[in-house]
Amino acid sequence: MSKPRPFSQFFRNNGKVMGSIMLFLVLFWIVVLILLPQLSMLDFSFRHNLPPSEVGGPKDVYTLDNYKFLLFGAEGSDSRFNTVDLQVFVRTIIAAIAVTILDLILCYPLAYYLGQSKGKGITRLLVVMLIIPYWINEILRAFALRIIFGDAGLINDVLLLLNLIQEPIDFIRADVALYAGLGYAYILLMLFPMYNVIESLDRNQIEAARDMGASWIRIHRRIVIPHAKPGIASGMTMVFMLSAGALAAPQILGGPSSLWFTQLVYQWFNDSLNWQQGAAYAIVLLVSSIVIVLTFMKIFKVNMGDIGK
Amino acid sequence: MKSSFIGRVALVAYLVIFFGYLLGPLFVMSMTAFNSSAFPSISPWACYTYEWFDVLFKDERILNGIRNSVIIGIGTVILSVSMGLAAALVLTQVWPKFRSTYYTIIIAPILIPGVVLGISTLVFWDRVSNFLGPSTEAFLHNGIFLTVLGQSTFIASYAMLVFVARLQRFDPGLTEAALDLGATHTQAFRKILLPFMRPAIASAAVLAFLASFENYNTTTFTFGNYPTLTIELAQKVRYGINPSISALAFIIVMLTIFAALANEAYRRNKQRNEDARLKGVPRKAGRVLPSFLTGNPAAIIFVLLSFVVITMFWTAQSYDPGECKARVLAEKQALAAERIEALRQQRFQQRLEAAHSGVDIFGRSTVDPTVTEAPAAPESNGAFGGVFAPTNLNSTAPAAEPESNPGGAFGGVFAPTNLQGTDGN
Repeated sequence: MSKPRPFSQFFRNNGKVMGSIMLFLVLFWIVVLILLPQLSMLDFSFRHNLPPSEVGGPKDVYTLDNYKFLLFGAEGSDSRFNTVDLQVFVRTIIAAIAVTILDLILCYPLAYYLGQSKGKGITRLLVVMLIIPYWINEILRAFALRIIFGDAGLINDVLLLLNLIQEPIDFIRADVALYAGLGYAYILLMLFPMYNVIESLDRNQIEAARDMGASWIRIHRRIVIPHAKPGIASGMTMVFMLSAGALAAPQILGGPSSLWFTQLVYQWFNDSLNWQQGAAYAIVLLVSSIVIVLTFMKIFKVNMGDIGK
Repeated sequence: MKSSFIGRVALVAYLVIFFGYLLGPLFVMSMTAFNSSAFPSISPWACYTYEWFDVLFKDERILNGIRNSVIIGIGTVILSVSMGLAAALVLTQVWPKFRSTYYTIIIAPILIPGVVLGISTLVFWDRVSNFLGPSTEAFLHNGIFLTVLGQSTFIASYAMLVFVARLQRFDPGLTEAALDLGATHTQAFRKILLPFMRPAIASAAVLAFLASFENYNTTTFTFGNYPTLTIELAQKVRYGINPSISALAFIIVMLTIFAALANEAYRRNKQRNEDARLKGVPRKAGRVLPSFLTGNPAAIIFVLLSFVVITMFWTAQSYDPGECKARVLAEKQALAAERIEALRQQRFQQRLEAAHSGVDIFGRSTVDPTVTEAPAAPESNGAFGGVFAPTNLNSTAPAAEPESNPGGAFGGVFAPTNLQGTDGN
């Protein structure tokens, strides 16, 4: 092959009809569903919120106002920075990282246990039990936690009954319910990638290390974790992105005084009807979470191709 | 030896905690569907009832939501499975230099927050309809159209992953052989590739349908006039909840369990048949159980659970919680009357105290009868755990002893905050 001619090669391989159908579907997906909407949202975020009659008129120019608003707040406000929204943003990111780490700690032992004890009947039953909550609606899972953490919920009643507390604890206001709910919602997306990778680890390696006298911690640090790194990275990326972008759990389990950043986006769209401002916030969320994920992947030397395996 | 025992205990404890966290909330939620209390809870257990299922099946909005969800789900399955299959096939052929970029692009929708996908879809098609003129508006602003597109954007990535896994085991030589023998490309695709991919297509379709059914983040921006079940649920959960949602959750949980068990039982059975065939010995039926059930715990649980559900259906026809409810109502009324009485006593005492401030003995003797009354109540009213929670009892207990300072003790029992707290139940 002196000169690669991908398209004619492609059509020779697949035939004219099948080749064009495939190409059409892939291009439709990539261009019309993925790229153009993102670009048009980006474009939208740089525009003023104008009444329909003025769209395309002389006032319809590009502006940075929507991003300025997130940083500095409305013009003429007292404080120099838009502290309310920025606080929400920082809190969302930090809490999402915390939820990710919590899920990692919870899942690692189970993933290791399931991955290494394959073939036994109990393992398969455990996997079936794991899959069941995964197919329950996200809203219903949040609702279940609300029943448990509510003012007159199960935990409060049990604690009162055991005489451990005198007044019901407001778990919702303290955001305990929210963090538990977020961790709960995405825990399986952490578990399954790790489980898949650890399952492929040759047991003899662990046996060998043990025979040579390696300690338990050392076996994990030098053998299991390096092997499981793609799975861990994949799980952590998914959990972080999904919890940073979660909307249902914060709406249902969030305290009245604490917002999640996606709720601000939702408010701009559905309550204030300022789509441009909402698009700007969404872009900020998207870009910053991608930057965070890429930074972590760089630090831990993981490739994008490992995600989703 | 000892350390391995500790390790075993730690493992079991950890598994219990993990699965408790995972399944406990679902179990509690399912239980609340059978409690007659109007707020979904299990701790003050009132009556066992099926009434919330009635409420659920009469809820127009839920039924309408299910209808919309099914329509959107079917659309999403068709679109995302075909796009995912095409993308997976292209991935096997794309030239290597471009491969990782291509993979990044088609895997990205999984990582993009659903909120962002919903917004971008909405904004983009709004632009398109502005560009094309108002005649297209009705179609392009249609909630079903937008939701299907928005959901397919990322569900196609899931489908693609399923297909890529299956395609790795495909032998391209088969297609080449078919082509050499004179089949057209379309025929080769239909006769060779499609049958090979059928299991993957089935699982991708199920995955896509479920993902579409439970999606909230994207749909909440695009649904327009066609709210899906998830949207309706979210509205209900956010603004006023009653146990009919728990009833729906119970149904969904049961369906999921049945599907999971049936799938597991089927696979186990197939595998055992395979094993038996390899050994050359036909499977014998057990002494008690038919052959399908022997050595297949999933199938046994499936059958037992079916019996439980059928029994529930059967009892639901004749079961009437009316009597129990009447009793609970009577208990509630008695409690309310008691509380009013207590309040009146308190007012009376306050008035007395105001009149004879400093006359300690007189005040105490008038109020004493209520004191002996109050601690006696809990035995008959076990259901109202909240009202007679230990906090309340604790503060009443010392009041029964005349030695303690009567003013302080009564302040605790009849303080307005205390009454408010109990009102919540």
